Amino acid sequence: MEDSQTVAALQDEHIDTESISINFGPHHPSTHGVFRMVVRLDGETVVDVEPKIGYLHRGIEKLAEERTYLQIIPLVDRLDYVCPMTNEQAFCLAVEKLGAIEVPERAEYIRVIMAELTRIMSHVLAVGFLWNELGATFTPMIYAYRQREYLQDLFELASGARMFHNYMRPGGVVADLPDGWVARARKQLAEFERFLDQFETLMTENEIFLARTIDVGVLPPELAINCGISGPVLRATGVAYDLRRADPYSIYERFKFEIPTRSHGDTFDRYCQYFAEMRQSLSIIHQALNRLPVGPVFNEKAKRLRLPAGEAYGHIESPKGDLGFYIVSDGKPQPYRFHIRSTCLLNLTALRQMVIGQKLQDLVIIFGSLNVTMADIDR
Amino acid sequence: MEFLDVLPLMIMQWVRTQLDMIMPVWGAEAIVAVIKIILLLAVGIAPVIAFTWAERKTLARAQDRFGPNVAGPYGLVVAFADAIKILTKEDVTPAAADSIVFRLAPGLILVPALLVLAVVPFGRGMVAADLNVGILYAVAMGSVTVLGVLSASWSSRNKYSLVSAFRSLAQLVSYEVPMAFALLAVVLASGSLSTVRIVEAQVVPFAISMPLAALIYFLSSLAEANRSPFDMLESESEIVAGLNLEYSGMRFAMFYIAEYLHIFLVAALTTTLFLGGYKGPLLPGWVWFFGKSLLVVFVVLWIRTTWPRIRLDYLLDFAWKFLVPLGMANLVLVAIAYRLASNPYLAAGLSLVGNLVILLLAGGILVLVARRSQSRRLRAVVLGEA
Amino acid sequence: MLGRGMLKGLYVTLRHMAQSYVKGPRRFPRRYVPGGKLERGEPDVEGMFTLQYPFERYEMFPRFRGVLCHLRDEQGQPRCTACMNCERACPHGVISIVAEGKGKQRRPKSYTYNLARCIFCRLCVESCPFDAIEMSREYEVTSFSDNLVLNLEDLLAIGDRSGIKHSGEAWKEPEPGDGQDVGAEGSAGAGSNNG
Repeated sequence: MEDSQTVAALQDEHIDTESISINFGPHHPSTHGVFRMVVRLDGETVVDVEPKIGYLHRGIEKLAEERTYLQIIPLVDRLDYVCPMTNEQAFCLAVEKLGAIEVPERAEYIRVIMAELTRIMSHVLAVGFLWNELGATFTPMIYAYRQREYLQDLFELASGARMFHNYMRPGGVVADLPDGWVARARKQLAEFERFLDQFETLMTENEIFLARTIDVGVLPPELAINCGISGPVLRATGVAYDLRRADPYSIYERFKFEIPTRSHGDTFDRYCQYFAEMRQSLSIIHQALNRLPVGPVFNEKAKRLRLPAGEAYGHIESPKGDLGFYIVSDGKPQPYRFHIRSTCLLNLTALRQMVIGQKLQDLVIIFGSLNVTMADIDR
Repeated sequence: MEFLDVLPLMIMQWVRTQLDMIMPVWGAEAIVAVIKIILLLAVGIAPVIAFTWAERKTLARAQDRFGPNVAGPYGLVVAFADAIKILTKEDVTPAAADSIVFRLAPGLILVPALLVLAVVPFGRGMVAADLNVGILYAVAMGSVTVLGVLSASWSSRNKYSLVSAFRSLAQLVSYEVPMAFALLAVVLASGSLSTVRIVEAQVVPFAISMPLAALIYFLSSLAEANRSPFDMLESESEIVAGLNLEYSGMRFAMFYIAEYLHIFLVAALTTTLFLGGYKGPLLPGWVWFFGKSLLVVFVVLWIRTTWPRIRLDYLLDFAWKFLVPLGMANLVLVAIAYRLASNPYLAAGLSLVGNLVILLLAGGILVLVARRSQSRRLRAVVLGEA
Repeated sequence: MLGRGMLKGLYVTLRHMAQSYVKGPRRFPRRYVPGGKLERGEPDVEGMFTLQYPFERYEMFPRFRGVLCHLRDEQGQPRCTACMNCERACPHGVISIVAEGKGKQRRPKSYTYNLARCIFCRLCVESCPFDAIEMSREYEVTSFSDNLVLNLEDLLAIGDRSGIKHSGEAWKEPEPGDGQDVGAEGSAGAGSNNG
């Protein structure tokens, strides 16, 4: 009698599950920098994600208001520290627009070479860290990082430092390439192509990798455009928008290169997009090395920098996307207002929609494939 | 070489006779048992300490770097340095944790692993306890580990540990089944559950006559040991080592030892069941046994350096939808082959041919299903069109 | 298909394991390169890659930006005239100078360089009109004391150790005659300090 009543009671009631809320704290091995996410999980499925940023805020925009334009260049280097040269290029572009400064031919070619090398460096890091988050215990990451070390040797030969180069100036570059740089660069790039082929065919065909990245974290193109996403993340969804074609700066109109796109916008497509872009960068570098002209590398008139009052916005296609600098000057040697249009912050805004409904393990991979650097978000 | 083969047995025999002369039978038995236990622990734990070193060296060499090479020649002192470092750490018990279960859990994981060592035949006649239900005992001890894992993560009162407990339970329980099917095939072929008799029955190593069972058993025990590519339990990059998050000091050392002991057991049991145990020409039996298990351990470490982690639902799919049907087909095949043929070589050959046929059929079915499906993922994994 | 990709990955790893014993200057059983000073390796994809730091060191490239150092002229006197250009050019206020004397006898009474704040950007060297300072190639500046402020004597000592005679030596471009393959080097750039 009692038993059947209990059984009937149990059958009527629903078994409720609770969702738990986990803090992917700032100290975490797999967030690209200090980044915190508050994740609500229902079992293994992500129900909600709330990113909390600001752990790496250093006040670069405010610090720049107290420094002259030449002194801001080391500051700008440290914005997105995996691709320092492109930050410098964007800043020099903004200052040159404001002051109507001309850049000599050879300096433009050197800038293009350095920027494309930096693009390769940044994509190699993206690819390596994605494997790390998948769980392959650092092995593919070290293969990728090795090439990055050789590229940093090239930078050190030219500018004196492996990482924060302080090489470009408004009006050109600091000094010419040293003896033997071009030959060494060619040799390095030949080895790099060999690495790309090895890595792509021997690692990308791994079935576990394919199963974990295909159809994971799909970003529809309308959402990407509405969120203001740019760079390889946008091109992997199918929109062929590249600032080097859409709003050409420097001498990019003289080079022949394609804009690769992929159609699905999932993690695997973003991963392949990095490879395709690296190959295009290699082709641009070879064209530039072949056509390197003779001449000065710095516009001597720009040595005493006196910028008129006014404002200028210079933006380039950095490896992460559309990086822009907005400078307002009132005639003094320091800028009046200095604002950075941060690429990675806008790329991060689509994280929530991409992740809801996926599993917890996918959250880590999706975030890794977006390739954000927290220094660029928090500035 | 015959001499080296029987040397340990002769030593034990001599000790026994000496003891028999001084004390009554039960005393001699007890002392011999204690000696066997100490030897067993030494033989079981020494490889564990060596594996911490071997893992770091192998991983490093695959990554074009040296690994530990400054502490001691070739970095050998690092194994002991690791042990001492763990022992000197403070033992912290969280205030909110269920303290009795929290303290018992590492023991629940380590002790069953040690107990399995009792049925592993290290050489001719060198087995601690020749149970005639040896394999059943080993599988049972492996299942007790599940309880230990669950109690460790539940008693930590920590959300990360909880998430990892859910995953681990699903994984450990599902991989018991394919393991059982593979083991059943071996038991059928050799006619007994005792490990010694299984080794004796292998005129052709079972890895050659039933490669499918070998593969299934190897992959399932990798999953039971929480080892890459099934290591979500301790995945560093996501859950920050969920299970042993709250443990430190000696208790963490017990988890550590238990994990490496599991790997050694995976290697030892695979060698016993599928690779012919201690059989081999020329060299003494125990040399062959350790050589073969070292090879299997190298394969386990090699897999760890290369493959990424599998997601939880693919893990369970892989077990239930792929390994279990293959295991069942293999079982039926082995039963038929070993019944039809009286000559062991003929039976081995028949079952090898049958295994290849099963593999081809399974591959064919997969390809057909993938060709018709719309899912990009399935097509990429099976057909390779990315 | 059907597992081939995974096996290819295993092959790559095994190949790297084998090559690490066989290729490169540190092949088995040699652990350290004899001599201890190395040039940066030729770019390669396989083979041992590690630099065994305390026992081996890299030869830094000529343009490497290390710790600041002061240079002496032909009579052995420091060239610095305390013109304060470097103090003004530094983004972080690392250098502070107190001058004494007037005209041609102007010399620094004290010149302090705070190594803990320096970011090694070389803006000070670029702004010096007297060829008095340069970045040396030293980078091993860890110390047990918390006093990382160097004065003029320390900086002169570093300069004597480094063997640099003139500022901007490594940054001068080769003559146009020494051309390379396509795109010969140009003439005077912005980094040379000739006035």
